[in-house]
Amino acid sequence: MRRLYDLAYGRSGDKGNIANVSVIARTPDDYAEIKAKLTAERVKAFYGDLVAGEVIRYDLDNIEALNFVLHGALDGGATRSLRIDPLGKSLAGILLSMEWDS
Amino acid sequence: MLRIGSAQGFYGDDVTRALPMIEGGHVDVVCFEALSELTLAILRKDMLANPARGYTFDVSIIAREILPKAFARKIPLITNGGGLNPTAAAQMIRDTAAKAGLTGLKVAAVTGDDMLARLPELQAAGEAFANMDTGEALADTANQAFVTANVYLGAAPIVEALQNGADIVITGRVADPCLYLAPMIAKFGWAWDDWNRLAAGIIAGHLLECTGQVVGGNSLAAMNLLDPADLAHLGYPIAHINEEGSFVLTKTPGTAGCVSVETVKEQLLYEIHDPARYLTPDVTANFTTLKLTPDGENRVHVSGVTGQPRPEKLKVSMGRMEGYMRELIFTLGYPAVWRKYELLQGMIAESWKGLPIDRVVYHRLGIDSLFGSISETPDYPDELVVRVMFTAADPDTLKTAVRRVMANGLSCPPGMSVSGSTVGGDPRVILGLWSSLIGREHVQPQITYMEV
Repeated sequence: MRRLYDLAYGRSGDKGNIANVSVIARTPDDYAEIKAKLTAERVKAFYGDLVAGEVIRYDLDNIEALNFVLHGALDGGATRSLRIDPLGKSLAGILLSMEWDS
Repeated sequence: MLRIGSAQGFYGDDVTRALPMIEGGHVDVVCFEALSELTLAILRKDMLANPARGYTFDVSIIAREILPKAFARKIPLITNGGGLNPTAAAQMIRDTAAKAGLTGLKVAAVTGDDMLARLPELQAAGEAFANMDTGEALADTANQAFVTANVYLGAAPIVEALQNGADIVITGRVADPCLYLAPMIAKFGWAWDDWNRLAAGIIAGHLLECTGQVVGGNSLAAMNLLDPADLAHLGYPIAHINEEGSFVLTKTPGTAGCVSVETVKEQLLYEIHDPARYLTPDVTANFTTLKLTPDGENRVHVSGVTGQPRPEKLKVSMGRMEGYMRELIFTLGYPAVWRKYELLQGMIAESWKGLPIDRVVYHRLGIDSLFGSISETPDYPDELVVRVMFTAADPDTLKTAVRRVMANGLSCPPGMSVSGSTVGGDPRVILGLWSSLIGREHVQPQITYMEV
């Protein structure tokens, strides 16, 4: 079974109560596959109750990467959040654990 | 070509990474970016205790250890570490330089970003400071305990200070990438509506402004390429900017770390929302047209950046006091960890009856504290680390809450232990951020020069 991490790497960060997660393809073929299948809806469903608001996807064909913007993802943001990771630094990593195909 | 080094990405970063850049003759200018959304509120606390403070401590290190070496080589330094009090920071720099025997040195302090005292006047003039997330007007919000209100300035005052011969420019809130854009405009004379070149400068600044993050730090792409010890002394990044707007991203020669197309991609998208519309005070930058090309060892060439006109208004970020939070950490071990967890929660809830605690949250460290329901819960773990976070309007309530829990120390679930350092800890301030917009006509940056 492959996981998303086999096709991509990425990084996450914060701005207020919004987190963003980049998913950067390892090869052009990986990018085509990720772009076709990794929809904003699928990412929103994956994060479940971690992300209260909507998820928006932006495509960067020029660098073969997707950028997911997660609204309401940080329990109020860095200065308010009670979470152990209030900056959402770990959010990219767990998305990469997504089971891609069996 | 202009060679820009970046030696700070947050308050507390190791600013002395500027030294190998300067002493090795690898840079023409060095920038230091010190202010996160939270930093100014921390500095307000310092300034309330001492009106001569309000700037970052790192500026003292820059003045003492870096400025003499940079000044000897005519390498200007630029920093927003002046925080809430760039003028006091400039005075400290001047005094430090004088004590070190430097002469002919010019310090420039940029002010005009601090709007806190002007909020009533500006509201009377028709600025609603409506919250960008909720739309609520500033006047309508019940909690008016604002401690900071700073507008994000652009590059212009720094450009002017550099053109007037400043050897070090110290500012308060300036949009991070604009710190780096300023020396490019000062050197190349780019027009203020040359959107493509300004956007290229902003993207170079964006890649530089998080120092270690583009040279192997916080990098999934680089983690298997680095010697673990290298993370403690990465060579910080340098950009070689060409007048027509392309640039090469590299790092300090002869130091640890790596720059690759992969590390550049990771940092390009760091804390970005719409990549076609990255708003800054000076230009709207587009990340979707650029091209990355490997250009030799630890060198990535960036070209094809495009930009659009700058936004009409400027962003203001305000911080207000919203109470206090406190943390306690407990450990529970085999057997019957989950029963003990239930006992702990019940004991705490009962001890806090009648106390005005606002929020209580339990985190199960190592189980699901990072990812909630994404993670599976084991039925019979050997150990459980419980983090309890709780908040109240005043710190005394939190102190009472801790005392009451600790009073049950011998009546606790079997085998429970508590982390002593968390028991001895202090309540931490909760800050609320309020982001809004302001008309450019209300913002007039000032530059004060001091000479030694």
